[in-house]
Amino acid sequence: MSTIELRGVTKHFGGFTAVKNVNLAVSAGEVVCLLGPSGCGKTTTLRIIAGLERASAGDVVIAGKRMNDLRPDQRDIAMVFQFYALYPALTVRDNIMFPLHVEGLDAQTNAERVARVARMLQLEPVLDRLPNHISEGEKQRVAVARAVVRDPNCFLFDEPLSRLDVELRQTMRGQIKSVLTGLSKATVIVTHDQLEALTMADRIAIMRDGVIEQIASPHEVFARPTTLFVASFIGTPQMNLLTAQFDGVEGTHGRFTVDGQPIRLAVDPAVKRLAKGQVTIGIRPRAFIPEGAGSADTIAGRAELIEPMGAETLIHARTPLGSDLRVVVPREIKVKSGDALSLRTDARETHVFDGSGKAVRT
Amino acid sequence: MTDMTVNAPAGSAPSARMPLTRRLRFGRSASGVGDAGWGRTIGATIVSLIYFFPVFWIILTAFKTYEDALAVPAKFFFTPTLENFAQVFSRAYSAGGPVQNTGFALYFFNSLFISGVSVLLALAIGTLAAFGFSRYPLKGNDTYLFMILTTRMLPAIVVIIPIFIMFRVTGLAGTYLGIIALYTVFNLPFAIWMMKSFFDELSPDVEDAARIDGSSDVRVFFKICLPQVLAGLAATAVFGLILTWNEFLFALLLSGVETRTVPVAMSQTIGGDIGVRWGLLAAIETLFLIPVIVVTFALQSQLLRGVTFGTIKR
Amino acid sequence: MTTTTDIPQTAPLLQRLIALRWDNWQGALIVFVIGTALAIASLPPQVSFWASSATAALFAVTLIANAWGKYVGGLLVTPALALLFLMNVFPLLWSFGLSFFSYKANRAHAPTWVGLENYAKVLSDPDVWDRLHNTIILVIMTVSLQMVVGFLLALLFSKQFPLRRYLLILVLTPMMLSFVAVGAFFRYYYDPTFGLLSQAVRIFTGRPFILMNTVWGSRIGIVFADAWMWSPFVMLLVLAGLVSVPKYLYEAAAIDRVSGWRQFWSITFPYIRGLMLLALLFRTIEAFKLFDLVFLLTNGGPGTATETIALRVYRIAFENNKTSESTALAYILLFTVIVLTNLYLYFANRRAKEVPAS
Repeated sequence: MSTIELRGVTKHFGGFTAVKNVNLAVSAGEVVCLLGPSGCGKTTTLRIIAGLERASAGDVVIAGKRMNDLRPDQRDIAMVFQFYALYPALTVRDNIMFPLHVEGLDAQTNAERVARVARMLQLEPVLDRLPNHISEGEKQRVAVARAVVRDPNCFLFDEPLSRLDVELRQTMRGQIKSVLTGLSKATVIVTHDQLEALTMADRIAIMRDGVIEQIASPHEVFARPTTLFVASFIGTPQMNLLTAQFDGVEGTHGRFTVDGQPIRLAVDPAVKRLAKGQVTIGIRPRAFIPEGAGSADTIAGRAELIEPMGAETLIHARTPLGSDLRVVVPREIKVKSGDALSLRTDARETHVFDGSGKAVRT
Repeated sequence: MTDMTVNAPAGSAPSARMPLTRRLRFGRSASGVGDAGWGRTIGATIVSLIYFFPVFWIILTAFKTYEDALAVPAKFFFTPTLENFAQVFSRAYSAGGPVQNTGFALYFFNSLFISGVSVLLALAIGTLAAFGFSRYPLKGNDTYLFMILTTRMLPAIVVIIPIFIMFRVTGLAGTYLGIIALYTVFNLPFAIWMMKSFFDELSPDVEDAARIDGSSDVRVFFKICLPQVLAGLAATAVFGLILTWNEFLFALLLSGVETRTVPVAMSQTIGGDIGVRWGLLAAIETLFLIPVIVVTFALQSQLLRGVTFGTIKR
Repeated sequence: MTTTTDIPQTAPLLQRLIALRWDNWQGALIVFVIGTALAIASLPPQVSFWASSATAALFAVTLIANAWGKYVGGLLVTPALALLFLMNVFPLLWSFGLSFFSYKANRAHAPTWVGLENYAKVLSDPDVWDRLHNTIILVIMTVSLQMVVGFLLALLFSKQFPLRRYLLILVLTPMMLSFVAVGAFFRYYYDPTFGLLSQAVRIFTGRPFILMNTVWGSRIGIVFADAWMWSPFVMLLVLAGLVSVPKYLYEAAAIDRVSGWRQFWSITFPYIRGLMLLALLFRTIEAFKLFDLVFLLTNGGPGTATETIALRVYRIAFENNKTSESTALAYILLFTVIVLTNLYLYFANRRAKEVPAS
């Protein structure tokens, strides 16, 4: 079965620990994205799976076999590099065919496989060109073709779309996704672009400082982030984060002091068990419902900058004590700069994070 | 070569939070020099020592007495003496004769002076010319450059005779000016080609920004362009130095008694005395070798980069 | 003479050439060429030299005047070009002219025109062809050896390992020795009585080994010394190529399960091919000019077996004092080198266009 499993994988570079005790299981046909900011250890983790780095501790299991001591060429994996790593002296055709040499098939079979893959990725017109005579997007597709022409245990992608422009990225996202769905192999994609992760992954593993903070489906990660970091990393515009003092629960509402203002907000039932003290409240810009002035249980603010975004409008607001708020409303709701706002949310959209950054949720 | 940013690692850019060791590792592991362990060190040491052996033997001979140097079987262990080094500078020219100053101090000075000045001149003139060729291309640019390259290929023999006559006629023979001018011209083609390819590599944006900020062309050249091409300067200097330091033919024919360089003096030492005084010769060469090694070692890291740039981008 | 207005380009050619202006460098060039030819033909060398130099100086002045202000680039470039012209091109042209005359440096009379006689004499001289034969053999032997050894050394140093910096310097030292020292000491090493080579062989055969008294022995002796000196140069160039290959190409090849041999041919070789060609070019040219080492090691011996063309030119010029004959021979050598160079460059550029890797 094409699967990948990392059990307690750790990697030290001298005194610096890049990957700390990472556990990951990717099943056949599943696409998992390693998402995170620069330096979070996602690329190192990928390279450990590939065999380009050796794990300091833990097990790397691919297709059920422990692979810690095996070199990359012994693992039967395919990888698409960030810089494509196309062999500059070989034509596109020869590049794609390169990994097939070791399989010892006859020329006819090789040619067929290359042709099939080239058709799948629309590379037929450039098969006889050299890598430096094709466009960036074509280079990317050749790199993917070279990986896909094989029948490996799994696929690894290192920032595959980072070098493409926005339009090309959109096209390629869809194309890669459809290519991958066809072949039921475990796939790991490393990226720092959350949009890529949200659209291509079955599950996203968000990493920070060598640790996986949360691994769940895109929807789960968006709607129910387990840590403050995940909450602020996922979602554009960024989630609003307000420091508040928690002062107990009244029925379905919690009592908070936000910006010096006492306020009651509808929260998740689990918040009852939280000790009083400092917390962080997270609310996504689109979760706000503007209500009439002076309504109860709302957050007050004054609109400062209005950014029309077409179907929606982004409002930059400020609370009385100076905290920034980003609010996104449908364009039908007209707000002017200087208007006073009363913003309501519901319990599911009001995320409460305790002092250590963990979400308080059932 | 467009999609290869050699300094960017596959993945994320090294963040400032990362310790220096990791950042260096990222930078280094992205280029071709991978790591090999002590096995290769042992192999390389053996090969290097074998390759170095003839040089080693010369240095060893410098410390031997005349008899030891000619000993059969060859002596690896012997009582070292510094006599040869002393004799470099003053010795008796015939058995039992008076001890005289050999003038080698002057010859060493001459070599240093002549090589140093000509290399510096070649760098100065050549860099300016390279800058001109690069930034202000003239119509006949390619022709000029090709001509310059071909002058480097001239067999010395072809120009030696007219230059010899020229020097005699103009009275330049035996003067510092003459030989320095000649050596400068030897080093110019290489300097120009080398520095031009370096200048071609520089992005003009930085210079434009500086000009907009009000710097004059001269300031732009010295404060912005020059610091970026140090590797080229280093490589040119080292190769130029090696070339002129060891140059023999022209020095033989064109330098006078006062301006004699060490290689010429060395060849006379071979001919003159009783047999060949190997120890003495070895001592001279050992002393002569030191400045070159020092300069090369000091500029070593720049040297390799310089050789790359000077030749790949033709 | 004026410089305020340009000579209109539409004016007839002749008028442009003879215009008396400081920046009329074309006119000055014509004066130089004609003047030099006349001077060499009619005046003793000492005087003709000064006359020719005067016209050359005029030419240089007009060039500078032409460049001033109009071409900053021209100004920057002028000192270098002037120096090169003075010390290289001028003597070259002068000696080229001289090769058509009969002139001996140690006689006082003016040169007499002999046309192509010198060239004919040189080309029909069987000795010359013999020397050419010697030179070619030496060139092939030493360049091949240098390329192989240099390449192997580069492979050795292509990865980072402890002590690499210092070992590299050790290997580079042969290049830094003076020819005199190398020539003298290799004679010492090859000496039958106390030379190291003979002693080493004697361990096995019990008899002294004489290398330098046979034709092929002395050739091998020269080639060995020359290749030893210059292989590090080839190594530097090849190393530069090896180091420039991006590491991720090898990583991709590892993942593609590509064998080491195929990795070398498909990935590494295209990067170093250009540099190896360059090393080949430079070392071949230098080998053709082989003089110093041969002069010091064998002085052309035994007999004339190792006398190279360059050495022969030197002999004719300075020992036989047949100055103009030697210039004719020297020019033949020069043209050979130029032709070879252009051939190399032509092929190198063609290959460079095909493979864009470097």
